[in-house]
Amino acid sequence: MIRRTSNCGIVLGIAVAVVLAVSIAVYSQQPSSSASKPAVKADVSQVHSIVLPQYPAEIASGPNVDAYRKDCLLCHTARYVSMQPRFPKTVWQNEVKKMVDAYGAPISEADQALIVEYLVAVKGTSPPDTVSAPPK
Amino acid sequence: MYGSDNLWKDVAGRFRSLPLLSRSEAIDTVPMKRSSPLDRRRFLSMLASFGGMAAASHTFARGFESSSALGFAAVPAETAARQLARYPQKTDLILLTDRPPQLETPLRYFRSDLTPNDAFFVGWHVSGIPTSVDLRTFRLEVGGHVRRPLSLSMKDLQSKFEPVSLVALCQCAGNSRSLFEPRVPGGQWVNGAMGNARWKGVRLKDVLDAAEVLPGTIQVGLRGLDVPPMEKMPRFEKSLQIDHAQDGGVMIAYEMNGERLPMLNGFPIRIVVPGWYSTYWVKALSSIGALDQPLKTFWMDKAYRIPDNTDANEAPQRLSQVTVPINRMPVHSIFVRPEPDEQLRVGQSYDLVGVANDGGDGIRRVEISQDGGQTWSDTTLGTDLGKYSWRRWQASWTPPAKGSYRLMVRATNGAGETQPIAQWNRSGYQRDVIEHLDVVVL
Repeated sequence: MIRRTSNCGIVLGIAVAVVLAVSIAVYSQQPSSSASKPAVKADVSQVHSIVLPQYPAEIASGPNVDAYRKDCLLCHTARYVSMQPRFPKTVWQNEVKKMVDAYGAPISEADQALIVEYLVAVKGTSPPDTVSAPPK
Repeated sequence: MYGSDNLWKDVAGRFRSLPLLSRSEAIDTVPMKRSSPLDRRRFLSMLASFGGMAAASHTFARGFESSSALGFAAVPAETAARQLARYPQKTDLILLTDRPPQLETPLRYFRSDLTPNDAFFVGWHVSGIPTSVDLRTFRLEVGGHVRRPLSLSMKDLQSKFEPVSLVALCQCAGNSRSLFEPRVPGGQWVNGAMGNARWKGVRLKDVLDAAEVLPGTIQVGLRGLDVPPMEKMPRFEKSLQIDHAQDGGVMIAYEMNGERLPMLNGFPIRIVVPGWYSTYWVKALSSIGALDQPLKTFWMDKAYRIPDNTDANEAPQRLSQVTVPINRMPVHSIFVRPEPDEQLRVGQSYDLVGVANDGGDGIRRVEISQDGGQTWSDTTLGTDLGKYSWRRWQASWTPPAKGSYRLMVRATNGAGETQPIAQWNRSGYQRDVIEHLDVVVL
């Protein structure tokens, strides 16, 4: 299994895995060349792989951005925030709560408050409890 | 090895313990492990160095602000300029998120009956998505409340079951979410989180029959190869009622438009639930479980739920108390042309084009209005590709004078159902409201 922790590592890891898979497949073919029926059908064309490109998101600066980076971006891209319109504070509180309660994100109470503060700073409405747009 | 007969029974409705990734030789997923501080710093510095470059290189302007000749009144400012991204087996698509990838199809690809595989939208829920599948070892496990658990290779699926094919629209439950007012949090899709394809595969019913589903089975649980970045996070899994799973229409698809599925669309196999939103179309399907109790999962019990009424409608100040899992698609229609950057000229004939779909009764009529809904006229319907396909429509329009026009489109299906004039719900699901397009004719 590839387990890497940086973006570089992911790409490198996948590349290594592909090379390994190919090498193993090629190697396993050789001993069977004399046998009439190879024991392992080493058809590399059966291995389908892609390498995901990197499109890192810009992280908006704001108060407590370190907590946001540490607790949120571990599991998902900053685009989950950057693609959103502005929302009242209650919406952001609910979103953070959902990440903890529904998705099991291990974020301390103290950090949750810091993250809400960050989200309100970068994607909040002003004043913070107004709705983002009136219904038409 | 898994695939034992008590695979699904043990957990009676919960299949969290299934050791799906024990075959490391078969499946690689994008690693999402807790990083050390050093790794995180390196990662973040990469983000910083790449972010600006990526944003600059692949941006397209939708160009329908005040200076534009044409505008989608409802399209919000946040989506006005969206970055394009190119992923493996894909053409340039609109980038919503990169980890996990969520990619929207540019509107122009909806000008053909079938959406090309490389332009087909992409949506995943958790970051550990499959990026490599070895078909020599890949198996679809069928277990739970069955007499004969199965472990099927791709060859088994393709040789032991009757192949079937149909055209069906695959549409995200949150398609067009960004058009709701007031805005709601979630994937900020415009209209491109859908695609129409010809799917080929086998009937889920036939596979369940081969496994001999036991009496007392009430649901079928579906799970793919994607894994959440943390153990405590719920795996993405869905369930269908047994009658639905056995209706002969639900398919395990191994081909899309005559080719194998792109990895990002669920290679090697995915569920196709004709007429239903794509949240049920589990990608990279790896296990099917017959269940004698309802599947208890965040993805059925908390997420993808809508107010329990026809148009999934509720008011922000009075949220619906009763919600149900999203299900069949209602009647829905959109404009494909004109696009925001096009200019319409007075006295010149223009082909208005769009698509309409429903959940399986088939589109019978599509009408358009050029005066904000005061008068309506029929459009010409395109090829009928089956009741689960979208139906293309076209109408020629010659703007009679310079000025502003509000174009609207509404469809009616074979059951006589049509579209609502207003709609909102807290999660931005099942948007089926009559769309309008504000046009300035020069």
